[in-house]
Amino acid sequence: ARAAFEDSSRSRKRRDWVKLIYNSVVSPDEILGQMRASEPPSQGPSMDDDDFFTVASSAPAKTEEELDQTKEPVNLDDLKAWEDEELLDSIRSLFITGSSSQ
Amino acid sequence: MAQAPTVLHFSGHQYLRHRLVLSILSGKPVRIDKIRTDDKNPGLRDYEVSLLRLLERATNGTIIEISVTGTAILLKPGIIAGGSITHECPLSRSMGYFLEPVIMLAPFAKKPLQLTLRGITTDDHDLSVDIIRTVTLPHLQLFGLSDGLELRIKKRGSAPLGGGEVQFLCPIVKQVKTLNFVDPGKVKRIRGISHAVRVNPQFSNRMIEAARSVLNRYIPDIYLYSDVYKGEESGKSPGYALTLLAESTTGAMHCAEAISKPGVAPEDIALTAARALLSEIKKGGVVDRQHQSLVLMMMVLGSEDVGRCRMGEPTARTIQLLRDIKECFGTAFKITSAEPNDPESAELVLSCYGIGNVNANRSLA
Repeated sequence: ARAAFEDSSRSRKRRDWVKLIYNSVVSPDEILGQMRASEPPSQGPSMDDDDFFTVASSAPAKTEEELDQTKEPVNLDDLKAWEDEELLDSIRSLFITGSSSQ
Repeated sequence: MAQAPTVLHFSGHQYLRHRLVLSILSGKPVRIDKIRTDDKNPGLRDYEVSLLRLLERATNGTIIEISVTGTAILLKPGIIAGGSITHECPLSRSMGYFLEPVIMLAPFAKKPLQLTLRGITTDDHDLSVDIIRTVTLPHLQLFGLSDGLELRIKKRGSAPLGGGEVQFLCPIVKQVKTLNFVDPGKVKRIRGISHAVRVNPQFSNRMIEAARSVLNRYIPDIYLYSDVYKGEESGKSPGYALTLLAESTTGAMHCAEAISKPGVAPEDIALTAARALLSEIKKGGVVDRQHQSLVLMMMVLGSEDVGRCRMGEPTARTIQLLRDIKECFGTAFKITSAEPNDPESAELVLSCYGIGNVNANRSLA
């Protein structure tokens, strides 16, 4: 579990945040690498479709809308990692009781 | 604002609150369109209309135009008036939704704000009143606001029926202090509030016990307060929650919270909160992730000096706020790695040159 944690942090290291934030049009969620995998790739109008009317928007009918919310949804699977003793010990240096050598 | 103000233009229902705040603080009108145009139920939601009403009441001379379909709004900001206001929050969102933007505006009002809110005090989407009282307000103290800054929780109200009541008192300032906060220090104590309303008060103690089982290994200085509200003060619906906060030797704070869910034991709620706190601490920085927006907003408004702040990885909201701040004030932050020698570190130092916002509304007593 600890390795997985470090992997995710390593892949994000050394990003040029200034460039990502100010010089691109990528949405904040995409910057953070939370691209919604569930979203199907939008396909062009298919030929065998005889329907005269087509749905104008490609927006998927979401049952749960994205709220303008401050709290981030808690991912219980991510928190499971904290059952691991090694990970628990890894942040000991952030507390006053931890050794300062690290 | 004497010069012909340029209209800020945004799209979508997301990030509505900080955009309205930017508009009111800068005095620039804002137009927000494409609000849920593709939705089955297009336009503004009841809580968004309620928020607009609250902002209208807290200011003087604000003109809000909402299009017939409710998918576009134009807000021409007036001055922030402050004073005594009472607002009924709709039950679709908790008080945090309304308090967060108000907290950014209130210091720049003409008169100190006394806001009474009624509704839901704690929910899963926005900062709960406990977080606002114990974490948000101390964050404001970094900017020189302290005397008279208070949030009183008079009654608690859980979803879905609410029934809570809080009073928010905010002093006014001439100018906020420039922040220079880059030393995270080490966590020296953990505090928490465990509350339970309209359920067995023992739940509160069970949560405390479970949270301690995770946190006790780190430091002995853990004090979790069991906050039991009874009778009239406990609102209309049952619920319980655990709010935890860690404070470092330099005053850096991190917080986490977990709220009761049907069919989940109080112990599990507490474990979730405790683990969320640990991952929050691991992410580093000197301000809590959920408070990045508030801190950045105050940094921009600071005196004409360079403010610096160390943060963990920015959230999506923070990224959008940084973009919107640039759009509104023309201020771009400088973002550098906090530990240039440590490639593993994801912590950043954000610095900016304050715009020197002076509270012109302030009545001189």
